Amino acid sequence: MKTHSGLAEVGVLCGAFVLLWFAPVIADDYALQIAFRVLIYLSLAESWNLLAGSAGLVSLGTSCFVGLGAYVAFGLLNSLDMPLPLVLVCCALAGGALAALVSPALFRLRGLYFTVGTLALAELLRLTMVNVSAFGGASGIFLRQDPPPLPELFHYALVVALIASLSITACARTRVSVILRAVRDDEDAAAQMGVRPYRVKLGAFVLASALCAIAGGVQATKLGAIEPYGMFGLQWSIDVLAMVIIGGVGLRLGPLVGALLVVALGEALADYPEAHIAIAGVILIVLIRFAPRGVVGVVASLSSMMRRRAPA
Amino acid sequence: MPEIGIVLSTVVSGVLLGGMLALTALGLSIVLGVMRLVNLAHGDFLVVGAYAGFFFLKFTGVDPLVGLPVIALLLAALAVPLYHFLLAPLSTRGPEAQMMTMFAVSIILENVFVLAFSADTRTIERDYATLPLTFGSMTVPLIYVIGFSIAVALILMVHWLISRSGFGRDLRASSADAQAAEMLGVDVKRVQMLSFALGAACAGVGGTLIGAAFQFGPSSGGAYLLNSLAIVVLGGLGNVLGTLAGGLALGFLQSIGGLVLGDGYRDLVGMALFLLVLAFRPDGFLARARS
Amino acid sequence: MRNYKVRLKVGAAVTVASIALGLGGARADEIVIGASIPLSGPLAGFGSFEQWGYKRAVDEVNKAGGISIGGTKQMVKLIIRDDKTDPNATASNTESLISRDKVVAMLGSCTPALVNAGALVAERAKKPIVTACDPLEIFKSVRKWNYAWDLFFSVPELAAAQFKALTDLGVQTNKKVAIWHDNGPDGQAVGGAIWPALAKEFGYEVVQNAEFPVDNTQFTSIIAEAKSKGADVVLGDAITPQAIAIRKQMAAAGYTPKVLNIEKGAEPVQFAEALGKLSDGIMVGGYWDPSFPYPGAADLAKAFESETKLTSSQHIADSYAAAQILLDAIAVAGSTDPEKINAAIAKTDKTYVVGPVKFDAEHTSKLPIVSLQWQSGKTVIVWPKASATGHFLFPMP
Repeated sequence: MKTHSGLAEVGVLCGAFVLLWFAPVIADDYALQIAFRVLIYLSLAESWNLLAGSAGLVSLGTSCFVGLGAYVAFGLLNSLDMPLPLVLVCCALAGGALAALVSPALFRLRGLYFTVGTLALAELLRLTMVNVSAFGGASGIFLRQDPPPLPELFHYALVVALIASLSITACARTRVSVILRAVRDDEDAAAQMGVRPYRVKLGAFVLASALCAIAGGVQATKLGAIEPYGMFGLQWSIDVLAMVIIGGVGLRLGPLVGALLVVALGEALADYPEAHIAIAGVILIVLIRFAPRGVVGVVASLSSMMRRRAPA
Repeated sequence: MPEIGIVLSTVVSGVLLGGMLALTALGLSIVLGVMRLVNLAHGDFLVVGAYAGFFFLKFTGVDPLVGLPVIALLLAALAVPLYHFLLAPLSTRGPEAQMMTMFAVSIILENVFVLAFSADTRTIERDYATLPLTFGSMTVPLIYVIGFSIAVALILMVHWLISRSGFGRDLRASSADAQAAEMLGVDVKRVQMLSFALGAACAGVGGTLIGAAFQFGPSSGGAYLLNSLAIVVLGGLGNVLGTLAGGLALGFLQSIGGLVLGDGYRDLVGMALFLLVLAFRPDGFLARARS
Repeated sequence: MRNYKVRLKVGAAVTVASIALGLGGARADEIVIGASIPLSGPLAGFGSFEQWGYKRAVDEVNKAGGISIGGTKQMVKLIIRDDKTDPNATASNTESLISRDKVVAMLGSCTPALVNAGALVAERAKKPIVTACDPLEIFKSVRKWNYAWDLFFSVPELAAAQFKALTDLGVQTNKKVAIWHDNGPDGQAVGGAIWPALAKEFGYEVVQNAEFPVDNTQFTSIIAEAKSKGADVVLGDAITPQAIAIRKQMAAAGYTPKVLNIEKGAEPVQFAEALGKLSDGIMVGGYWDPSFPYPGAADLAKAFESETKLTSSQHIADSYAAAQILLDAIAVAGSTDPEKINAAIAKTDKTYVVGPVKFDAEHTSKLPIVSLQWQSGKTVIVWPKASATGHFLFPMP
């Protein structure tokens, strides 16, 4: 049962969605492209946050499901000419199916081992795609049709981000959040209280993976050409982790702020092509060190400090 | 079925190579065991070692194998301030903080490599690096034998250090239960710092060997990180001899995979094996079954 | 209370974001062109060559006063972005260059995956993009291009050059050939399809055809098999780190065929520098060499090495030429209208440092292949005989 603030949150999300839907009317291409990137990253970051912030599973396997979604999307678009919304539903199903498939093995691992396990899974999938020429091997595959125009792709990304955000709200604002946190904080104790940790983790993992797969499908459709290094590459997993850490792990606004900042930082540093990677690394280190709860955490503590100083 | 000479050569080379890879993984194992940290910059420490060996040879003319102690000290000297300023302040936070900090270090290192040394692929040129050793129908690269010997010697030394010395006792206590160790008077922070330095030193030495046997460039680190992870899991976190056994096992299985499926599938075999072990024996093949 | 906090945080983030995104942009009296190239990641080497070639062409034009647009001379501004060897980044960089920096045309990245990603964006945005570093057949196989132009070598010609060279040079071998190729698009085309077919045509027996991933590090089984089958000729197709690894591991395995050819990887100077004496005798197909009789060829490599203190490669030439082609087209069009520039590129017919360039109906311009051989740290053209600059070293030392 949703609380009042939960309903308010749903309202804010839906309101933002409706407003942003009409963005292509007034926004220029650059703004839409930036927004697209932020929305895709947001979806990935929200799903990561669901796993880690709530269920305690630190995953480095985002790239696994992004890549899966990408290849499934191209496979369906190229061979069956399905309409894109249906294709994306299939991507979600594929992502969820893969997650369910590997869960028995993956969930035997706790903490650190789980993280390492997701990393290995992502690499395994990438190596398989590179070696098996049926899926294009290292050359990859091309989308036969022209991708939809930018406003349409923006709408798709917006829908994906909405679904991701609503899912998190549903989990965070209902009884589910308590269960997730119980599993995160002490799995064995939760089990003794009647919670079934395996099912909870499975549910979170399946949902998160489905979201990643849809995001991967949309991204791939926009690119028009995919190959294993780009779609299964570890940069997806690492970028998402960076975003959530910068924004604030487990905090509701963490993924949004993180996604915005990472994209903005990328654009700002683009003028320094030779050193931008090192600069980004330094910024990341500084942020991690001095903003333990991310930027959202910093703002939260600043605003609570200000409130304490305000007259009673 | 390839002839017996090829099979022998490939399998023996694989096992020898596995020994070398075990050394490259040793550093990661120690750090994982003591600090519960997946050091995402581990591969780049290897590359630092490779560049160090390369420039050691270039500027002194002395064989980098002779200079290995210097390279080890260099890496340790690099690691100590990294631990003190970047990792120690984060030790009370969740695993992501330290992991992402090391990732940031990794990308900074890679950028610095490109800026300082250019993106050119390098290799440490020594005659022994390209000489074959032939026993009947079997041929193995001489550098693998050299590398294997150095790796095993170093691994045994580290094993002795950890199982017999006072530092080693503190290290084992800190890995088993840091809080309990702290209460018993162990300076856990100092142990972690020294372990991190030891891990980096091992990585550096391994990197020099890799640089002599193969080639390296600014972005070579990533591939070795994953291989090392596989070996560490096979052998058990923090288990030094286990890392050696894991390396040998991985080298053996990868060479079989290469023979049967093709060299391109070596890494695939490694990852598949890695996942299997993780799924069924996450404490490593050699860990005693949990009671 | 809660809503206020939410609004404050979101507002702060959006503000920061907007400030960051508002940076950039060029002046109105400049001709802005863009390039997204790999300056970090595994292909960082290619990026450094491209960066130099592109910049040099732009600097030369600016030093001469710029390009005349509608009567006034305007300077050219080249904006370079690093795509980190990630096609997703190439695509988003190209988008930003077009929509934020308002470039009128683009210069391409390197290797098919990255070039495709950028070219597809430019094509959709109807901005001309001139690229090199993408084998012609692979470029053509993506789609029918309207705005993308490629100058590079033709894959079948590269593959055939090796066989023709061996025949013309009259080398005596046991006609057993081992083919080792990576599984990238050109590796598969050359090693997987064309070489086996040509081998039959030229009377060779293919005793082994091995494929490996582009970033493979271990070649022991492949080498062992070729050695046991006694192949006198080894034809390889791999990028430089792998090419170096292959040669080293061959030596360490005690396998020295009479002829060793490694396409792509054996071309740059860093290959010979890394291997020293081991590089002697290795052949590679090249589309440019400083000894070519074209304007500026001899000085280009020298200028590169003295300016950057890096080892050079033929990639400095095609990127330099690609940029010149684009700049010449802008000058001919006398306008920054992308359609006019595109039409002018189509009419290109001039000799550049890589040779004569003229685009065909499929937007490609072929750079002919010569066969090079490393001798004492320098490349010698050994085929075609008419362009040879030295004797052919045979067998491999």
